[in-house]
Amino acid sequence: MTKVETRRQAEADKGNIIAILLVWTLLFVDGARGETPVVEKGDRSSATATIDRLLASKWREQKIEPAPLADDAEFLRRVTLDLVGRIPRVAEVQDFLASTNPDKRRDVVEQLLADPAHVTHFTNVWRAILLTQASAQDLRFITAHLENWLNRRVRENVPYDQMVREILTTPLGDKLAVSAASQKEPTPLAFYQANELKPENLASAVSRVFLGVNLECAQCHNHPFAPWKQEQFWQLSAFFAGVQRLRPDNAFAAAPEMMDNREMKIPGSDRLVTARFLDGTEPKWDSGVSSRGRLAEWVTSANNPYFARNAVNRLWAHFFGRGIVEPLDELGRQTEPLHAELLDALARQFVTSGYDVRSMLRTITASDAYQRTSRLTHPSQKEAGMFARAMVRGMTAEQFFDSLALATGCKSDFRASFLTKFNRLDRPTESQTSILQALAMMNGQLTAEATSLSESKTVLAVVDAPFLSVEQKIAVLSMATVSREPSATELERFTKYVAESGNRNEALADVFWALLNSSEFMLNR
Amino acid sequence: MQHGNRSRAPILSRRDWTKLASLGVLGGSLSPWMSALAADAAAQTQRKKSCILLWMSGGPSHLDTFDPKPGHENGGPFKPIDTKVSAIQLCEHLPKLSQWTDRMAIVRSMTSKEADHGRGSYLVRTGRAPEATIQYPTLGSFVSKELGKESSALPNFVSVGPYRSTNLAAYDAGFLGPQHAPFIVGDVTSALAQQQAPDGYVSALKVTDLRPAAGVQPRQEQSRLELLRGLEQSFAATRPDVPVLSHQTAYERAVRLMDSAAASAFNLEDEPTKLRDSYGRNLFGQGCLLARRLVERGVPFVEVSLGGVNSGGMGWDTHVNNFEIVKRLCGVLDPAWATLQGDLHDRGLLDSTLIVWMGEFGRTPKINGTAGRDHYPLTFSAVLGGGGIRGGQVIGATTADGTAVADRPCSVPELLATICQAMGIDPHKTNASNVGRPIHLVDYNAQPLEGVVG
Repeated sequence: MTKVETRRQAEADKGNIIAILLVWTLLFVDGARGETPVVEKGDRSSATATIDRLLASKWREQKIEPAPLADDAEFLRRVTLDLVGRIPRVAEVQDFLASTNPDKRRDVVEQLLADPAHVTHFTNVWRAILLTQASAQDLRFITAHLENWLNRRVRENVPYDQMVREILTTPLGDKLAVSAASQKEPTPLAFYQANELKPENLASAVSRVFLGVNLECAQCHNHPFAPWKQEQFWQLSAFFAGVQRLRPDNAFAAAPEMMDNREMKIPGSDRLVTARFLDGTEPKWDSGVSSRGRLAEWVTSANNPYFARNAVNRLWAHFFGRGIVEPLDELGRQTEPLHAELLDALARQFVTSGYDVRSMLRTITASDAYQRTSRLTHPSQKEAGMFARAMVRGMTAEQFFDSLALATGCKSDFRASFLTKFNRLDRPTESQTSILQALAMMNGQLTAEATSLSESKTVLAVVDAPFLSVEQKIAVLSMATVSREPSATELERFTKYVAESGNRNEALADVFWALLNSSEFMLNR
Repeated sequence: MQHGNRSRAPILSRRDWTKLASLGVLGGSLSPWMSALAADAAAQTQRKKSCILLWMSGGPSHLDTFDPKPGHENGGPFKPIDTKVSAIQLCEHLPKLSQWTDRMAIVRSMTSKEADHGRGSYLVRTGRAPEATIQYPTLGSFVSKELGKESSALPNFVSVGPYRSTNLAAYDAGFLGPQHAPFIVGDVTSALAQQQAPDGYVSALKVTDLRPAAGVQPRQEQSRLELLRGLEQSFAATRPDVPVLSHQTAYERAVRLMDSAAASAFNLEDEPTKLRDSYGRNLFGQGCLLARRLVERGVPFVEVSLGGVNSGGMGWDTHVNNFEIVKRLCGVLDPAWATLQGDLHDRGLLDSTLIVWMGEFGRTPKINGTAGRDHYPLTFSAVLGGGGIRGGQVIGATTADGTAVADRPCSVPELLATICQAMGIDPHKTNASNVGRPIHLVDYNAQPLEGVVG
């Protein structure tokens, strides 16, 4: 051997060792899992049973045949994406499939809820709810601060009503709040900044985000389809009448709030309105309570017909891709929603639990409704709003990149560009893939590296693993991407492809390429 | 590597599509489209029209562009200038366009009730007010459906530099489905900051990843696509949901686009430096040049958004400092649009290319306390030019103070019906919607404006 050859050999050996270590990581090492906490009992299971009972009665009425429950692999992939925002690791898939524990679905939910990634993922979920994506785009520099604030609330499972009260009453305009972004203590100030520190924008957002009531039409005229009057809109805005900008052209810096200002003029008229709740009742103005404080009490009150319903509707939409009531901001419609009883039952449960978000996540994920397969097994399951099967859903850009990173071991340098390219604002059940996204996944640098025999962590780990047969290697690639064992047909097709190829390793990389580009990998099924 | 000579099998063959359609996957929208195509093929080659929509994101100030009000305090500081057509005056910051008024019909009596960016954009871009249950297609999508070719390598609807944040649905194919969704070049919706560098337009307008990665041989690429096709067929057979279908449509079209001849349309470097300069070296100017290249290659609908001097956004949303901003935006709009008119004209394409200028609403005639103008839907302007338009005329008028329509009010559906007429599309043709009810392209009560087309 020449010196160069020796060096190459040494490098190759080093590469192999790294590859073997990696495949061990892929296959056998558990990720950062917290300890399984003790599940609190309570009436969680009865709430879950209620979901399934109420849906079943609707199906009977409408002669719908529900799809069977998902198999373990399908369930694990979905619940992992939904609770921690990424696909499961190969080892997690294998453990779960091998486990004979009859409670393994419930247990895995507990493990995922205790995973630090759950906090990060639900921080993103709440951020998307609080700041409409539209505003979030322009406001990246203020969202980080809100994310810090949310992160702590999610980690501590702060009751939802408390979280909303904190948002509605966060101090504005004192020194601390103005420079909050540079302070250690994060605040939800971004909610006000995203709404340009304007009373009417804030009223509209509070109504839509926390009550599921869209008042935007009523801003300019009486709502044509709902009972909302223009006057009601401006009465709600008047709770924020004291919110002021420090300078007129700066939507980010709040001036000290004028606490006793609760009157507004309806633009284009001379009519002055005073702060009044949406249901027409007049607040009691005791001393010491700010307008926003009064509003926060009313919004988060257990008697408010919209507050808990809106919250559970949005949480439901997180797991099903669409709300029990759609659109999510039309709880104020006069017509009775199809699943009104279901919405009411979940809302009651949420209030009874003390607005315990995690408990609601347990209730929903434990239901048969959530655990059904997304396979269409009967024509009656086509109507998405009947929840007779799971719908295939698009991933958020974060979910997609974090899954891609897990499957390929790619560098995090790609993250920012992928988040931009795969930014998705459509409804998850109607999510679209663009030609540009397809091009990026087929030909882009990330995929090139991920399927390169000299650079890909996953491909290297798999092709060089001395203890795996070709079939097992294909199975690992399948589990690393679509989170399941390959079907018999797939295994046969891929094995044949590898066998007939002149270059076995390259052929395995081709299989990996196809799996990464498949709709099954890129979507949440 | 040779790309041009290779024939590529689509991810989904026509037979696969038919199969999916028979499974109900396509919601019945594709199969009638294919049969209609066969029938219309001959007719379309005869009167093939294209449309370029110049979309003014944020709501352009009509009083400071196409509806000047000299001598009234609402008119602001801009002076009117004479144009090629003696009866028509434009604002002083559109000097180059003033030489093209003989090819324009300026509608000064547009009126609507939607003063919100999201709702206004949706109305003007789809012809309908937002509804909870039906997702209406945007203009480009329904032109793609009516005039697009399934077989074309280039997308049938290209959107350059759109800022979609105010209402994504306003830029979407709605119930027509993903095959009519826009191919977005320079999506500034989520990358606003990166686009603002002086040469930011270069990277923004670049379509990346059009070639297989280095080292991937053509045969290998074919094998990979074969493997992918196998995976897709079994997945779509059991899960016929929109995201799955959309994924497959996107891949099929991406593979077709990778054909080198078609993809060269995006290569602006092929154009003479002087021409590129006169379009303006910014996102909108170069976007207009791209639009011409696409139209030349038969793309039926291209929209180019102007939302900032060299960026996307809602640049025309001039609540503060209206006059300075409008002047700057006109500095981008005027050379780009005028050069586009001339370029199309020189290539014999102006007669078959309709140019539309509009935004989601106008601005308040009364100037506010911060030298700005706020949202105003009660009066605004839209401009139709080029192919099929009887130029040199003004349609309708606003009052002397600009606050109300004085003559011949024009609703958004009427404008869209007129656009359809100019494109040779029956505005009242119906399509099956997502709720199973047939929907007219444009509201049945809206007729095209008289005397504009022809």
